Amino acid sequence: MPHEQAEDTRVDWEGALVQRARTGDRRAFERLYREHAGRVYGLCLRMTRDPQLAEDCTQDTFINAWRALGKFETRSSLSTWLHRIAVNVSLAKRRKSGRVESPPAEEEGEACEWTLETPVEVHEIESAIGELPEGARDALVLHALYGYSHIEAAQMLGIAEGTCKAQLHRARKLLRERLSVEVN
Amino acid sequence: MTEPSNTDRKVTSLRELPQSIEPRHDLWPGIEARLGDIRAADGATPAQRRAVRMRWLAAAAMVACVAIGVWVGRGLLPGTAGSGTVAVNTSPPQAVQPPVNAVPHEVYVSDPRYQEQRAALVRDLQARLAALPQPQRDKVTASLQAIEKAKADLEEALGHDPSNALLQELLVNTYQDEMRVLTDVHEASDPGRGI
Repeated sequence: MPHEQAEDTRVDWEGALVQRARTGDRRAFERLYREHAGRVYGLCLRMTRDPQLAEDCTQDTFINAWRALGKFETRSSLSTWLHRIAVNVSLAKRRKSGRVESPPAEEEGEACEWTLETPVEVHEIESAIGELPEGARDALVLHALYGYSHIEAAQMLGIAEGTCKAQLHRARKLLRERLSVEVN
Repeated sequence: MTEPSNTDRKVTSLRELPQSIEPRHDLWPGIEARLGDIRAADGATPAQRRAVRMRWLAAAAMVACVAIGVWVGRGLLPGTAGSGTVAVNTSPPQAVQPPVNAVPHEVYVSDPRYQEQRAALVRDLQARLAALPQPQRDKVTASLQAIEKAKADLEEALGHDPSNALLQELLVNTYQDEMRVLTDVHEASDPGRGI
């Protein structure tokens, strides 16, 4: 399969870059940055809703990654690893800025589908996501946009899986209200 | 909040939203500058840091060995050196053929004569120490503790770099120093002798 071959090539290439970066090769690390900066920044921006703060978070994410490269296991996904760091950095920055939100009670069950009954413009959805409460937005961004499972998103956010599901339930309800569209 | 391309595009699933958003400007120069700071602060890559730590350990062990040697040889037991009554051989064993690729400290500590002699000396160490005046007893105890620390440091360093000849030699010297102290304590606490 051409796509699978391309994926294999990309992963091998990335592994080699990680190995080189571990030895202190900054050019290799820059290439990793170029590859992943957009997704990391996208995640940070959606979690912080502040372009300046998101840039700081992105920088800190890569600085922390550079420091911790020795601990990274090349068999796992670099993208996921960077996202974990980005989530931690973003949460810490938010905590520092004093914005803390209490989580909702745990809840069981939440469907994985995040489709809209009628098409909606990207900027409208982005705006509606940006207006969600932090906890609900974090869970939604990781689960619905970046495709992490409930448990993965919960682990990244340092919350219980049930809490993550409850946040998603709240996010769905609020999106439905704000977009005036059924979110399935 | 975001400015993804095609913001007017309509989608029917959140998965269709762009995961990647380009920052307003290139963040790499700022990151690279901070990597330089980390380099300056941390000194080197992990491998280089390990090598630096190894050198420090070796240097510390060497200083400890020299200090112990000088202390034992000059300060602690001024009258016993070269007396001709030393019953214990503190030189590296010659009779045992070292196996191919064997490292010096392993050959040294695995020699049965060394093990027997050391075991005998350690067995009556407490009794011998009790026979010494308090100041000398304290010195010997401190000396043996310093030797133990040096051995532990060197063994740890050799764990990271098993083929390092300098570390191996230092470790053998430390074993010899330990034997010398034990022997001197043994002799010095004999009736009619004194430190």
